[in-house]
Amino acid sequence: MWKYIVKRLLLAVPTLAGVSVIIFGMMYLSPGGPVDVMLGPTAASQEMVESVRAELHLDEPLYIQYARWMGDVLRGDLGNSWTITQGTSVNELITNRLPLTTELAFLSLLLAIGIGIPAGIIGAVYQDELADHLTRIVALTGISIPNFWLGIMFIVVFAVEFQFEWAAGGWVSPLEDPVSNLQNLLLPTIALGTAVSATIARMMRSEMLDTLGANYITTARAMGVPRWRVILNDGVKNAFIPVLTVIGFALAGLMNGAVLTETVFNLPGVGKLLILAINRRDYRIVQGVILFIAFVYVFVNILVDVLYAYFDPRIRLGGE
Amino acid sequence: MSTESNDSAPAKRSQIQQFWHQFKHNHLSMAGGVIIAVVILLAVFAPVIAPYSPTTQFDTPEGKYHPVEPGTEIVLTNDGEVVERGTAYLGTDHLGRDLLSRIVFGLRTTLTIALSVVVMALVIGTVLGGLAGYFRDSWLDELIMRVMDVIFPFPSLILAIALLGAVGIGKTEYTTALFGTVTVPGLAKIVLVVTIVYIPRFARVMRGATVREVEEDYVDALRSIGISDINILMRDVMVNSIQPVVIQGTLYMGTAVLISAGLSFLGLGVQPPKPGLGVMLSNARGYIYSGEWWFATFPGLMIVFIILGFNLLGDGLRDALDPKYDSRGE
Repeated sequence: MWKYIVKRLLLAVPTLAGVSVIIFGMMYLSPGGPVDVMLGPTAASQEMVESVRAELHLDEPLYIQYARWMGDVLRGDLGNSWTITQGTSVNELITNRLPLTTELAFLSLLLAIGIGIPAGIIGAVYQDELADHLTRIVALTGISIPNFWLGIMFIVVFAVEFQFEWAAGGWVSPLEDPVSNLQNLLLPTIALGTAVSATIARMMRSEMLDTLGANYITTARAMGVPRWRVILNDGVKNAFIPVLTVIGFALAGLMNGAVLTETVFNLPGVGKLLILAINRRDYRIVQGVILFIAFVYVFVNILVDVLYAYFDPRIRLGGE
Repeated sequence: MSTESNDSAPAKRSQIQQFWHQFKHNHLSMAGGVIIAVVILLAVFAPVIAPYSPTTQFDTPEGKYHPVEPGTEIVLTNDGEVVERGTAYLGTDHLGRDLLSRIVFGLRTTLTIALSVVVMALVIGTVLGGLAGYFRDSWLDELIMRVMDVIFPFPSLILAIALLGAVGIGKTEYTTALFGTVTVPGLAKIVLVVTIVYIPRFARVMRGATVREVEEDYVDALRSIGISDINILMRDVMVNSIQPVVIQGTLYMGTAVLISAGLSFLGLGVQPPKPGLGVMLSNARGYIYSGEWWFATFPGLMIVFIILGFNLLGDGLRDALDPKYDSRGE
């Protein structure tokens, strides 16, 4: 098991290194470059340009700049903001906005699992019957509705038409006021969770079809093992596997969706920060947020894979 | 196909017939096909179908540039003379432009982006995946798939946003040594960025299909008579293993529409005044609270309609061509 975990962690190193090079290169490809962005469109004097370049170490060769940046990143320092809130540390900006995004993603995932997994199981158990067709059509429609549009429609109906105060977006910390915190997040959670639940239902259906048709289930049943024992002995443990796979896949959808949902409902989360930073060309924040997302994404996937391997020895031992 | 003997031709035909038979009986995928056909016709014949020009700003009783509700009479005056008169079936936008006409013309932008992305990513992904699969476990395979692995797992929209950060938003003029000043339109940037996001998806599916195809006896036979690897790969193996990639392409048309609309919605995609469905939603965001509900509702419904069409079609194609095919690729 440990061998497997170490192997997975080592495999993440080249991925993250590749991502960091792309993210670093981004700033230098960007039209105008960092100095133009910092000093604004007004014609700055040559001395000002030189001093800013020296301050940011832009006069050094690229590989030294990368090493310097990477050194800071490895020490956990993502640098300081350029334009939005000049001088504020990116770490602080992200940490301040992280609770909201985490809460939104977590609630949406709960909702998505709550709807998606039962729907997928129903589809698989009643394969090609009416219940299966209905869940498939609903799921397909769910996938086809952009979550940001669904969010706008929610606002149009609940905030504008019915004038519900809690429907208009905004966020308060759950520590201050847990009730209005949940009220505010209700619509964003549904908007984000719906599309993800449809994806989960579709995957769960195909995973369950595989599991139900697996040889060991048929064999166990043929050997006269009672149905309930098959389910208890093999089914329960094996049921975790499709669920884990599905959560791993849903994560990308949640992250994409969070950026859009936070923008629609004006929630000050990490996704909103990324869009703000892109529009204001604050590449230090963009780099920081993208790198942060990459880390979270890669490590959650490793966690999912490790749990997966724990439940399914074929994976753990397969590579040896 | 050059090496297919004539004996196998009837078998091929019956395969197509069998496919059509299966596809025809799948009502959902037929519905998807009809939706896509309608959408494409609307886009192609936009100038004929749209009641007005997408950029004409109509007058209202309240004055110029005032949005009106769906079904309202609109007029266009020039120096007090009425030039055009009609009904805005879906209302007008914040600049008094007919929403229905903008949606019909917006389809062109939206479909052009999605189609360019999928075609470009499919071609590049197929070549890369084919090479990797044919020369399996070689340094070339390692190189290609390692690069793909860095791009692939990343959440698609966030990757596209990051790449857009690099190329900048909207039209940009680059000064190059070779070609002088080169202007890159915002639309091309969106296509480029989303294509990069999709290449690994196609490459992975193609690699899997190629690896299976290379096991076939005819590949050994061709090698033994001295046909070069590149020839076998390009003329036979790729042609024979492209089927799952094409199905994947149909399914990705829907997500390409979704992601490009999302980028436009965030203000990073197509820039106004060009009509695009995502841009219309982005504009609509500023008018949600003032009661102009139709700004967002109708372009959004059209996006749902398109994506649903591609998803139904893609699902049906997959089922008809290979019932056991796994949607997640390899």
